[in-house]
Amino acid sequence: MVGRPLDESDLIGRAKRGDTHAYEDLVYAHQGIAFRTAYVIAGNAADAEEAAQDGFVKAWRALGRFREGAPFRPWLLRIVANEARNRRRSAGRRAHLALRAATEQPSGDAAPSPEAAFLSAEQRESLLAAVNELPDDQRTVISLRYFVGLSEHETAEALGLPAGTVKSRTARALERLRESYG
Amino acid sequence: MAELERALAALAGEIEFPTAPDLRPRVRERLERRRLARPFALAVALLVVAFGIAMAVPPARSAILRFFHIGAVTVERVQRLPAARERPLATGLGPARTLDQAQARSGVTLILHAPQPQHFYARPGLIATLLQYRGKPVLLAELQGDQLGITKKLAAPDTRVEPADMGSFGLWITGGKHVIYWETRPGEGSQIKPRLAGNVLIWTQDSRTFRLEGDLREEQMLELARDITR
Repeated sequence: MVGRPLDESDLIGRAKRGDTHAYEDLVYAHQGIAFRTAYVIAGNAADAEEAAQDGFVKAWRALGRFREGAPFRPWLLRIVANEARNRRRSAGRRAHLALRAATEQPSGDAAPSPEAAFLSAEQRESLLAAVNELPDDQRTVISLRYFVGLSEHETAEALGLPAGTVKSRTARALERLRESYG
Repeated sequence: MAELERALAALAGEIEFPTAPDLRPRVRERLERRRLARPFALAVALLVVAFGIAMAVPPARSAILRFFHIGAVTVERVQRLPAARERPLATGLGPARTLDQAQARSGVTLILHAPQPQHFYARPGLIATLLQYRGKPVLLAELQGDQLGITKKLAAPDTRVEPADMGSFGLWITGGKHVIYWETRPGEGSQIKPRLAGNVLIWTQDSRTFRLEGDLREEQMLELARDITR
C-alpha cells in the first residue's frame, strides 16, 4: 500500500496525540513564515530565531487547546509574534527594523520577474524609503501584509489587534505612502 | 489592485530577509527534554498530594514539615493566623507604571500572553499587574531571582493546599483566607504590609515563579494561568 502524504489536519491530529515527528513536519512547513513574522516584530535575526523556536515549543504545549478544524497558521503566528514582542519589549529597543532591498541582482541574462519589472530601481528605492519612514505600528502592518504575505486576519492575530484596527492602520499607512511615494 | 499596492507586492520579492534557520533540531531537542522531565514533575505532584493528605490528618500533621517552598514562595502552616486584614490586591506594590518602566525597575521580563493590561507594579525581582478576568480582578505576580520572596501563613485545615496541573510544579491554595507577607530585602523601599489573601494559584516555570490571586474557581484560574504562560 502506498501511503498518501499527510495533510495539515492529519499532522495536527497526530501531533496532538504526542507524535513529535508529525509536529516536526508542521515546524518545517511553517518555520519560514514564523521566522519572518518574528523578524519584522523583533527587529533582528537572533531574537527572531529565538522567538520562533520558543513559539513552536509553546504551541506544542498548547496543542491540546487548539480547536479542531481551525486554521493552524494564524494560531501559531499569534504565539510566535507574542514571543517576538516580549523580546522587543525586554530589549527596550526603540530603533525600528530598517528594511533593505536585496543587493544581489539576477545574474546573466535572466529576465526579471513580472513583479520586479513593475518597478524601476529608482521607484523601488523611493518606495522602500517611504515604508521605512512610516511610524512603527504602520510599518509593521505593511511589512506583515505585503512583505511577509500575511492575510488581514493573520496580521490581526499576530499583532493581537482587532481586524478593524489592522484595516484602518493599513489604510492610514497606504495613504501616507501615496503622499510620499506619489 | 491599486498601483501602490501592486508596487508593494513587487517590492516584496526584493526585500532582504535573513535566511530562515531550520528550527527542527532545536525544537525536537526541547520537546524531548520536556518529555523526559514529565515523570519528575509527576513525582513532585504526587509528593504534594501526599502532603495535602497528611495535612488533613491531625496526627500526621504534627509529624511533617511545618513549611515548604515552591519557587520564591514559602508556605508555612501555623496554629493561628497572624493579625492581618483584607486590603486591595496591589497594596504596597508601588505606583502604577508602564510595562517598560516596570520591567526596568524589576529586572524581570513579564511573560503575559493575554490579556494585556495598561498598568504594572514593580519591585526588584517582582513585576505584577491587575487583570480583569471573567469580570473579576486578579493579581498576577511574576518573581525572578532572590530579591523578593513571599511567605504565606495558613491555618490548616481551614485553608487547603492542593497540587495544580500547571508548569513544572503548581499549587492551588483555597478555602479559608491565609496571610501573605512580601519579603523585600532591607533597603529596597518601604516594606509591604501583610494582608489576607484568598484563592491563589502558584506555579513555577524555569527560574520564574508565578502567582495568581483572585476570586476565581480553580478551573478558571488554571485556564487563565495556561493562557499567560502558554
